[in-house]
Amino acid sequence: MRCSDVEALWDEDAKSERALAHLRHCRDCQCSYKEYEGVAYCLNCLPVVEPPQNLLPRILEHIRLLRQHFRSAVPDSFTRMDSPLGNLLLAWRETGITFVGIERGDDEETAKSVVERRLRRPLLKAEPPAWVRGAVDKFFATWRVDVDRIDLSGLSPFERLALLKAAQIPPGEVRSYGWIAREIGNPQAARAVGQVMARNPVALFFPCHRVVDASGALHNYGYGIDIKARILRMEGYHAAEPSARKVH
Amino acid sequence: MVKAGKVAARKAAAPAGGAPRSADEIPSVERFERIVDEFQRRLYGFALRMTGNREDAEEIVQDAFVRAFRALGKMTPEQRAELRLQPWLYTITLNVTRNRLRSKRPTNVALDSLADPDALLNHTQEGPEQPEQIVERGTDLELVERALLQLPMHLRAAATLRFIEGRSHPEIAEILDQPIGTVKSHVHRAVRILRRILGPQVGRIAHEDRGTAPGAQEEPINAV
Repeated sequence: MRCSDVEALWDEDAKSERALAHLRHCRDCQCSYKEYEGVAYCLNCLPVVEPPQNLLPRILEHIRLLRQHFRSAVPDSFTRMDSPLGNLLLAWRETGITFVGIERGDDEETAKSVVERRLRRPLLKAEPPAWVRGAVDKFFATWRVDVDRIDLSGLSPFERLALLKAAQIPPGEVRSYGWIAREIGNPQAARAVGQVMARNPVALFFPCHRVVDASGALHNYGYGIDIKARILRMEGYHAAEPSARKVH
Repeated sequence: MVKAGKVAARKAAAPAGGAPRSADEIPSVERFERIVDEFQRRLYGFALRMTGNREDAEEIVQDAFVRAFRALGKMTPEQRAELRLQPWLYTITLNVTRNRLRSKRPTNVALDSLADPDALLNHTQEGPEQPEQIVERGTDLELVERALLQLPMHLRAAATLRFIEGRSHPEIAEILDQPIGTVKSHVHRAVRILRRILGPQVGRIAHEDRGTAPGAQEEPINAV
């Protein structure tokens, strides 16, 4: 056994017989090992320094304020609603719709807490007002939505640009991530656009399902690629043969 | 910032015997006070060794718990059930430490540690049989503290977790998100540098104290 092999075993809790035998006979290794153990011992001897007594109460107070902030945040209204795509989950404030998602078979409480986590705000179950119902009905009748019915305040400027651009893709057509990136003046940002689409809080209304990869493949969808294909078919989109695909 | 994706990727190792954790053991924001109570001391000690400065350590621990609280609030019950709390908290603390030290000039770290030897002084006055007094014969704990702070951040983290926090290689690998081989090599490099800084006397001190000089006696070498 070479010295370097033995050295690699110093920090092992269980040292092999061969390593121990080497150590008994090799002066250099004995010397180095002593130094190694010495370093470990010195570090081990460093005193355990107690945190100041007021650290724990300070942290707990901070956590209490965070909790309070969450509880006192004005809740969004929330409902489940029937649609041609199955149950929709909707959240809204006076300023507009804040969340649209497709239910994945969770019970209502679970679905609600998933949306609460997404929005980082509490939700309150409510009957949807006429303007919310109207927006949903209009979407399934025309596959279009008025973007002024959507509350954009939780979005970053880049997210806003990308999602509003997606909203300009006509129903029954698709565009690529790269197309959106170019259109919003940031041609290098195709991947970032992909991430915005993946995090889209207002699915369907911001039609991230109309954004595909450059080869025309559907790529991905938060609610499953089958749902993406289904929505596109419902909108009247027919994928061309792979060889003929070219997406702007 | 703790990324939810990263958190989700950190799967729990199969618990011994395969027994699932009870609901009471699964970390949650509802029982977060208990988590703070249980880990604040340990994380403070870790942050202090990493920064050499008490104020920094206090800020880091507070910030780490706030981040943990927020991240936990965003996790699904499945993610929380799979979470390995202790390594995760160390990782968050280390990330906060890195960010904090990065925003400071490196020289400040060493100066801060010199300017703040209270911890050491207070402690050595308390117990007459503290092991560090033995070390003081040949070297000096302050010297050890300073030597540790001279290590590059990644080696300091490896050495601190291994020798001060007493974590196993697999756990350190999990905390640092590195392969076990890399962790071992970092621990070795840290020791090699510390040996050079502290001088050869450190080896003699430990063995004289414990009478376990390898080679001199024909008995197995104790694990460090």
